[in-house]
Amino acid sequence: MSASDTPAISCQNVWQVFGPNADSALKEALSQHKTASDVSEALRAQGLVPAVQDANFEVKEGELFVIMGLSGSGKSTLIRCISHLLHATHGEIRIEGEDIVSASKARLIELRRKTLGMVFQHFGLFPHMTVADNVAYPLRVQGIKRKVRRAKAQEVIELVGLAGREDHYPRELSGGQRQRVGIARSLVTDCSVWFLDEPFSALDPLIRRQLQDEFLDIQNKLKTTIVFITHDINEALKLADRIAIMRDGKIVQIGTPADIVLNPVDDYAREFSKDVAKGRHANVASVMLSPENHAYGADDPGLRRDMTLDAALARCMDLYEPVPVRDRDGSLVGVINPADLAAALQVEADHE
Amino acid sequence: MAATGLGLVLLSGYWPQGMNTLALVAVSVPLALVAGGLIGILANEFPRFRAPVQAMLDVMQTGPTFAYLTPLLVLFGFGPVVGLIASAIYAAPPMARNVLLGLQRVEPEVKEAAVMSGGTRMQQLFQVEIPAAKVQIMVGVNQCLMAALSMVIIAAVIGGFDDIGWEVLLTMRKAQFGNAMLAGSVIVIFSTLIDRMSGTLAQDRRRLWDARVAYGILALGAAVSLACWSALPDAGSYQLLDPVAVALDGWLTDFTRANADLLTSFKNGIMFYVLLPLRIGLDQAILPFTWGFQWTTTMSFWFFAAAALAAVALALRGQLTLGLVVLIAAGILETGVSQLPWPLVLVGTGALAWVAGGRRLALLSVVLLASILVSGLWERALLSLYLSGASVFACAVLGGGIGLLSAVSPMAWRVVRPICDMLQTIPLFVFLIPVLMVFQIGEFSAFLAIIAYAIVPMIRYTRQGLVATPEEMIEAATASGATGWQMMRDVRAPYAAPTILLGLNQTILYAFAMLVIAALIGTTGLGQSIYLALGQADVGLGISAGAAMAILALIADRMVQGFAEERKRALGLEV
Repeated sequence: MSASDTPAISCQNVWQVFGPNADSALKEALSQHKTASDVSEALRAQGLVPAVQDANFEVKEGELFVIMGLSGSGKSTLIRCISHLLHATHGEIRIEGEDIVSASKARLIELRRKTLGMVFQHFGLFPHMTVADNVAYPLRVQGIKRKVRRAKAQEVIELVGLAGREDHYPRELSGGQRQRVGIARSLVTDCSVWFLDEPFSALDPLIRRQLQDEFLDIQNKLKTTIVFITHDINEALKLADRIAIMRDGKIVQIGTPADIVLNPVDDYAREFSKDVAKGRHANVASVMLSPENHAYGADDPGLRRDMTLDAALARCMDLYEPVPVRDRDGSLVGVINPADLAAALQVEADHE
Repeated sequence: MAATGLGLVLLSGYWPQGMNTLALVAVSVPLALVAGGLIGILANEFPRFRAPVQAMLDVMQTGPTFAYLTPLLVLFGFGPVVGLIASAIYAAPPMARNVLLGLQRVEPEVKEAAVMSGGTRMQQLFQVEIPAAKVQIMVGVNQCLMAALSMVIIAAVIGGFDDIGWEVLLTMRKAQFGNAMLAGSVIVIFSTLIDRMSGTLAQDRRRLWDARVAYGILALGAAVSLACWSALPDAGSYQLLDPVAVALDGWLTDFTRANADLLTSFKNGIMFYVLLPLRIGLDQAILPFTWGFQWTTTMSFWFFAAAALAAVALALRGQLTLGLVVLIAAGILETGVSQLPWPLVLVGTGALAWVAGGRRLALLSVVLLASILVSGLWERALLSLYLSGASVFACAVLGGGIGLLSAVSPMAWRVVRPICDMLQTIPLFVFLIPVLMVFQIGEFSAFLAIIAYAIVPMIRYTRQGLVATPEEMIEAATASGATGWQMMRDVRAPYAAPTILLGLNQTILYAFAMLVIAALIGTTGLGQSIYLALGQADVGLGISAGAAMAILALIADRMVQGFAEERKRALGLEV
């Protein structure tokens, strides 16, 4: 991650309200009520739909930010506000420091051509264009010459593993291949902010996993800032640097995958991580204690701070005393009680 | 609304005639509903019948309305019976079509659930499939009613029955346009009422009022009529609106007189610069009298050279077909449609049909066209082709433009939509009145009437196609950075192409249907032959001219459908 001061994306008090005269109704409600939930209440009473309520977050450059929630929770609406496919009713959205809510039409087109890329759930491919033409379309609208755009399209087509299918039509491809086309199209302009709206949800589980892996490879190569939408907690945990959980238009929790799994803020967030094998997603660092105040026993099973709980537990199966956690270079960074390791996996049971 | 409409009818003094018309409709519609419904169900039950039934329905609907009348005339003589039977025949196909469509569209899982519930075939059909297809079937009922009304009015041409169509025809012949307009508006009121009433049936019914209220009103009406039976004046004696008719006549005369120059120049402009060249070719249409100079051989040469250049340029850019089309169009413009050499037409149609629908369609087209050739109606057929071609072309350009505008601006659609609704509920016949009032009898009036009627589907389908582009494709284009115009050109228009082609197809069929009616006000093609045959009860001529007309419509229909299906397949849509 770069140390740049301006976040790649920042959202402040973003609201998206649907319904007649949403603009003025929201303005009035905001002036009358203090908390977001009161405002939403007032809007709902008027028959309006507050699809996104007071969203606040920042995405750092190069970060993979996942927004997760059930269908109807407002996550697709939120991503459309950020990519400005919808005009946010209220709030400030900055991309690389530039306010896009008040950006002119021409500037938005410019931004979309140069900076932003988007992948859609149902691919959004143009059925009357070949794979190559689909991928090259963002270049075509910029008036780039056919030869140049073909060459550039070829590059990304190879990147997503579709070489040899340039002249096929979308209808001749499988679902997974179609989404590869969608991904290639969003990458062809070398975008620096990449939006993916449930890109793998319409695919079979096997294909989904394969594409997730390839997606991570591509991300490792390109290091773009990513906003990724999903309703699948496993997908979120696998991909995300940070996760935001949405419910009924509100962001209820933002945190690292381990945070989300180990410290869910409420029942809704807990419900999500219920079926997750926590030991695979949380690491030792999230449960260890600081070495200053805690003594530890003679055994040293060789725990590292970035080990998963499962791996750590396997090493101290028959130990009862607290054990040290060390860095790669061997220096002491923490202390952990094997009983806590087991307990961390049982978060669920404790609360029930 | 219904009360106001019928009140107007009463005041106009056309009450008895109107009721006669409704009586005819009331008798013919049940016939058509039962026949059409049965045909639809049978075609659904026995897939073997589907293809022939479909072909039969096509012929019944593309066949010109007048052509039905002649054979019936011979069998039953003049009088209302003929109109009755003709309208039943004409109204059955839409019913059959919609029943079949509705039954086929029932979800397979619903049908399977019915089978697994252990219903017999009859139980499945009547307890599950037909109720599930109800909405589509009600659309059929609506179309059936409209078709019947329209046909009953057309059938008035053979007269012998004192109905509203006859009244329109009579007043039109006497050039009493005010009265014709009045009688015409009675028809419009009827058709609007029938359309709205049966149209709401097709939508999902919400109970607005208790049914008891409706029965109450009905009972009250019956009681009042009974009580005052003897006191009521004869409905035909109301003539309150007659002054309106007279005023209208007067105003019209003033209007045409005042704007005579403008109207004539408008008419002549289109006649000289568009219609005539198409009909008899640049070669003969350009005279010092019309264009101000004489068309010479040198000009022909340059004209062709320019067309050839354009064709070559297109061919070089990979648009070979388009280049050929340009060349052919130039040829047609030079000689005129009505004087095209027949071998050229046969070969050209065959080639086009081959491209559109393969060898079978090509063969069918050529054989059918050849049958027109040997029937001796060739020249008339070409004249019909020219007039409908010109109007279809005008419809495509105008309608496409209006459709595009309506797709882009919701405001425009709000204005255009009620006009389209109105144009579609008016029976064909009534279109003739206003054009006739302003432009007198002649080809130009026919041209206008055809456009007015046939433009509607073009507008509707163009808009529908453009608006129906999937949201995600639009978002994808937006996210790619496309401007509004780029989106229209690259995404929405290509996606809408098959729908627009279907609109063109409807427009062609509408134009042919109207062509025959337009014969009443002076065209020279097949329509006139059919009309003449009707007058003389000449079954042979009537049938052969009708068949020729149906053939033209059928070929055009199949070709455009072929193109539309090809485009659909190219888009990966279900065909």
